Amino acid sequence: MRPEKIDRIATIVILGLTGVVGLLIISLLVYILATGLPNISWHFLTSSAEAFKSEGGIRDQLFNSLYLVVITMIVSVPLALCAAIYLSEYAPANRLTSLLRLAIEVLSSLPSVVVGLFGYLVFVLKFGMDFSLLAGALALTILNLPILTRSCEDALQQVPYLQRQAGLGLGMSKWRIVTKIVLPAALPGIITGIILSAGRIFGEAAALIYTAGQSSPAIDYSDWNPFSPTSFLNPMRPAETLAVHIWKVNSEGLVPDARAVSNGSAAVLVITILLFNLLARYVGHLIKRRLVK
Amino acid sequence: MKIALEVKNLQVLYGEKHVVHDINLKFPANQITALIGASGSGKSTVLRSLNRMNDDLATVQGTIDFHGININQPQVNVYRVRQQIGMVFQQPTPFPLSIYENVIYGLRLAGEKDKQVLSQRAEESLRQAALWDEVKDQLNESALALSGGQQQRLCIARTLAVRPEIILMDEPTSALDPVSTSQIEDTLVQLKEEFTIIMVTHNMQQASRAADWTAFMHQGNLIEFDKTATIFMNPREQKTADYLSGKFG
Repeated sequence: MRPEKIDRIATIVILGLTGVVGLLIISLLVYILATGLPNISWHFLTSSAEAFKSEGGIRDQLFNSLYLVVITMIVSVPLALCAAIYLSEYAPANRLTSLLRLAIEVLSSLPSVVVGLFGYLVFVLKFGMDFSLLAGALALTILNLPILTRSCEDALQQVPYLQRQAGLGLGMSKWRIVTKIVLPAALPGIITGIILSAGRIFGEAAALIYTAGQSSPAIDYSDWNPFSPTSFLNPMRPAETLAVHIWKVNSEGLVPDARAVSNGSAAVLVITILLFNLLARYVGHLIKRRLVK
Repeated sequence: MKIALEVKNLQVLYGEKHVVHDINLKFPANQITALIGASGSGKSTVLRSLNRMNDDLATVQGTIDFHGININQPQVNVYRVRQQIGMVFQQPTPFPLSIYENVIYGLRLAGEKDKQVLSQRAEESLRQAALWDEVKDQLNESALALSGGQQQRLCIARTLAVRPEIILMDEPTSALDPVSTSQIEDTLVQLKEEFTIIMVTHNMQQASRAADWTAFMHQGNLIEFDKTATIFMNPREQKTADYLSGKFG
């Protein structure tokens, strides 16, 4: 066959397959939004969930999801960033390092149910945290660490070696090169990675069912003392998230409008994750422009 | 003649591979010395050993005498060494900061805080690198917007701002166009009044135009070191003559 013919066939096949993937994602999105959006109202977003009656909202679940992401990030970003700096800048190329990388890869392929069970046994029971936001955040940290470490490491690796060399030539120490040259240059990539991984854990359910719990006790949004048991900021309270709510309403929900509630919740979840992704792009773009300007 | 740096019995090994054999060289102060030779002759390796840039990459043996101190010893502070013996690389590497911040970067890291000193030194260094007139009105704009030649002169200014005694240059113009190259060569000739310059170059015209002294290296050995005019007009060694006439390289 003539090369241009092969090229044309390959292009058509690739385009077709890409189209299938794109169509699949778009139709899924359209379906979720079409069935969910009609159920979303101001009332739905701002009232608490009902156990038996219809017309329940998702205020607490939405807040719990966002708050959980924040706590998870507070725990996992410093850990992931330090690990990434070590792997990218300091780790010698030996067997210990490759073992470390292997461990991170294995960790990233751990099923989230297993992580949830581990969290239940260790954080909830052994450490006596009970079903709580903190236990949930630690479980999510386990899920999040490998992916975040990898994306931070990639961002650091993107910084050209020449920049590090220039720093060495000026008599800078390694740590200074990392903090003053490499980290600032890698910042857009790191922030994008953080926001994207936030979107990923925002939709996590399986790891949270047995760690953050499935109940959402009444919380007081005017109580700003994080140590008060009813405060919305208390990290030791059980907290059902949006994704867990969808699972629960569908599997054992007693409300008559379970379908509407789960459809609406699903749409809110998808829209929020979409916003995370758009934010990641926007922030990354913004910082990059500020650096180049 | 004053000697800025003396190398005695320098050997460099990458693992088992012996890439530089027993080099002895005296670099005259306030002069430009060019290291020439074919690819793989070890000239860049020698240059990078002079301010300990090979520390993590290779084993460097021998003595590098700087003001009576052998700086090729583990207990010597490499960061201090590199502040005294600065380096400019093949590719311009401005940091993603403003022009002004780039120039005073090393100085700031060395602990200088006085704003007046910083801006004075920035102007001085930019003038010495022959860049001041082109950038004096845009000091707060990004260094990344400059042309390649300007970026390289900015990197030279950044190295000068730390006030080193010696500047090492690893093919400083090989990524640049002929106009920028000749600007930088002119700059170098000005700079030797205050600094000692040691450069590696692939470009033999560059060595003959700019350098006072030339060292020719071949397969890890120093073949000949003399005044540039002698090396080019009247080399002692047949190898040197062959290389210069393009028989290999």
